[in-house]
Amino acid sequence: MPSSEKLERLLNLTAALLETPKPLSAAEISKRVYGYPDEKLAFRRTFERDKDDLREMGIPLVLSEISGTDPPETGYRIPKDQYYLRDPGLEPDELAALHLAASTVRLDGIEGAGGLWKLGGLPTVTAAADIGPEVAPIPVDKRLVVLWDAANERKPVTFTYRDAERTVDPYRLDFQRDHWYVSGYDHLRDDERNFRVDRIEGEVIAGDRHGFDRPSTGVPGARVEPWQLGEGEPLLARVLVDAQQAAIAIGEAGTDSVVEERDDGSIVFEMSVTNVDGFRSFVLGFLEHAEVLSPPALRVDIIEWLRKL
Amino acid sequence: MSRLTASDRLKRLLALLPWVAAREGPTVEEVCARFALETQDLLSDIALVSMVGIPPYSPGDLFDIVVEGGRVWVHMSPSFDRALRLTPEEALGLVAAGASLLAVPGADPDGPLARGIAKVAATLGVDADTTIDVDLGYASATVLRTLQQAGASRHRVRMDYYVHGRDERTTREVDPYRVYADHGQWYLVGYDHLRDEERLFRVDRVVDVDELDVTFEPPEEQRTLGLFEARADDPRVVLELEPEAAWVAEVYPVEAVHTRGDGRLHVTLAISAKPWLERLLLRLGPRARVVEVTGDKKLEKCAREAAQRVLARY
Repeated sequence: MPSSEKLERLLNLTAALLETPKPLSAAEISKRVYGYPDEKLAFRRTFERDKDDLREMGIPLVLSEISGTDPPETGYRIPKDQYYLRDPGLEPDELAALHLAASTVRLDGIEGAGGLWKLGGLPTVTAAADIGPEVAPIPVDKRLVVLWDAANERKPVTFTYRDAERTVDPYRLDFQRDHWYVSGYDHLRDDERNFRVDRIEGEVIAGDRHGFDRPSTGVPGARVEPWQLGEGEPLLARVLVDAQQAAIAIGEAGTDSVVEERDDGSIVFEMSVTNVDGFRSFVLGFLEHAEVLSPPALRVDIIEWLRKL
Repeated sequence: MSRLTASDRLKRLLALLPWVAAREGPTVEEVCARFALETQDLLSDIALVSMVGIPPYSPGDLFDIVVEGGRVWVHMSPSFDRALRLTPEEALGLVAAGASLLAVPGADPDGPLARGIAKVAATLGVDADTTIDVDLGYASATVLRTLQQAGASRHRVRMDYYVHGRDERTTREVDPYRVYADHGQWYLVGYDHLRDEERLFRVDRVVDVDELDVTFEPPEEQRTLGLFEARADDPRVVLELEPEAAWVAEVYPVEAVHTRGDGRLHVTLAISAKPWLERLLLRLGPRARVVEVTGDKKLEKCAREAAQRVLARY
C-alpha cells in the first residue's frame, strides 16, 4: 500500500539524516536512501514533498555546507539537539490530567493529540464520572500558533490591524468571551496594546528569535473590557455597586478590580477607563444600583448623558 | 487498516518506539490502547520498522523489534530513543486545553493538571502562567460544583436566582440537566418548577444553591434554549436607532427591522420586563428613542423615569 511505502521511505530518510556525521547532499540521498525513484526528476519531486512533510511534523531539517567540499556543496541533516523532546518527566496522574483536558476541550482548528503521543501516549481513559463540566469548543486559528511560538521564543511579529501595519513584541495570549487576544509592545504606538487575533488582517509574520526582552515585572493578563477599548490616556474610575448586583458586577469587571467591600454588602470597583462609551454602558447596566464615585469628569459624563433623556 | 497518512503514522511511530523501548516488553494491547492503534496496524508498522536501515544498508542495525508471547520488545539505535520535540501547534494545543480546564472555577491550581502543564511548558523553556490564559467566565466555585454534582447524581436543587431582566431575586426548585461554559459565561439548563418549563439560567446569577433529597429523570432530548424567548402577549416597542446604535439589531432578538431613508433604523422588540428596556435605553441615551408602544403604555416614558431614578443618586 502506498502509505506504507512512503512511511518506510520517510523513516529511512529520518534515520539517515539523524545518524549521518556530515550533511548528505541530495545526490547522496538519492543514491543511498532506500525507497527513492532512480529517475532524477521523479526523485526531486518525491524528495521535495518528503522534506515538507518532515518539517510539518516538526522534524528540523537543516541545509548547510558540507565541510571539505570544493567547490562547496550543500547537504541535509537533522541536528539531534533540535530533534529531541526534553522529557518533561510527567507523573502518571499529570499525563492523565493532560489527556482529560485534551479530550474534554475541543480546539477548533488545530490538532493537539499528536503532542500527547510524544509525551507517552494516552493513558487509561478516565471514567465518565470524573469528567468535568462541558466547555464549548475554543476557536484556534493558525495565526495563534505563530503568535504563541513568537511569545515563547521572543520573536517580534508584524501584522496589519485596523489598516495599519504594526510591529509588536508579543508578551502573552488571553482567551476571553470567545476571542483570543494578544498583548504586547506595539512599536507603531510606542505603548503596550491588546489586539483581537481574529481581527488581524492577513498573515502574522514572525521575526528572529530572542528579538526582544520581556518586561521583568510579569505581564498583566489582558482583560479586555468594553471600557478599555480606546487608545487615549486612561482615567481611573471608582464605581459603587449595591449588594444585590455585586456578584454580577464582579463577573463583569473581574475580582481584581474590587477595592472595597462595605458592611452592607455593596462593593467599590476601581477600573482603568480608556473608552467612555463602554464605561457608561457598564455603569448604567445596573440602573439605580450603581454610582460613579470618581473622577468628577466621569460623574459629569453620566449626569449629562441621563439629562438628555 | 485505518486511513492514516504516512506522516501521521510516522509521527505516531516515532513516539511509540521510545516509549516501548523504555519498558520491559509491554503487551500488544497496552501499546495499542495507549497509541490508539488497531493490533493489525501495530503489527504491520512493526514489520516495516524492522526493514529500516541506514546506508550502507543492512536491516536490523537501527531497530531490533520482536513480538513474542503477546509482548513487544524494542532495542534500537540511541538516535531514536527519545520522542520528537513538540511542534508549536502541539504545545499550544496541550497548554490551551489544559489552561481551559484550569479556568473552571474551583479547579485545583496545584493539582496534577497544573503541574502537568507547568512541566510541558518548562520543556519549551516557557512559563505557561505568563504567556497564556483562558477565561471561561465568572461563577462561584461552590455554586458550580453543587450544580454539577446534583446534575450528575440527578438531584433536584433549590436556588436563589437573580432575574436580571426583572431586577428581582427569586427562589425556585430546578432539575439541573446540564452545566456548560460558552462565550465567556457559565450556563445551566434545567427544568424550572417555578414556571413549569425547561429553561436556561446564568450560573453567575445563582446567588445560593442547595441540593434537595428529590431525584429526577432527565429528558431524552434537550431543546436548544435561548436566555430569552418572547411570548405572544408580551408588549412590543418600536425603537428608532441612530446609525451608531445599529448594533442593537444584530445583538438582540429583534422581530422586525426597517431602514429609513435618513439612515436610521426602526426595530421592533418584545419586552417581557421593563428593567430590561430601561437598561437598553439608558445605555443608548440620545442614540435611540421609543417611537411606538403596544400592550403597555407605561413603557413610553420608561427611559426618562429610569434616568430620574439614577440621577437621584448623583
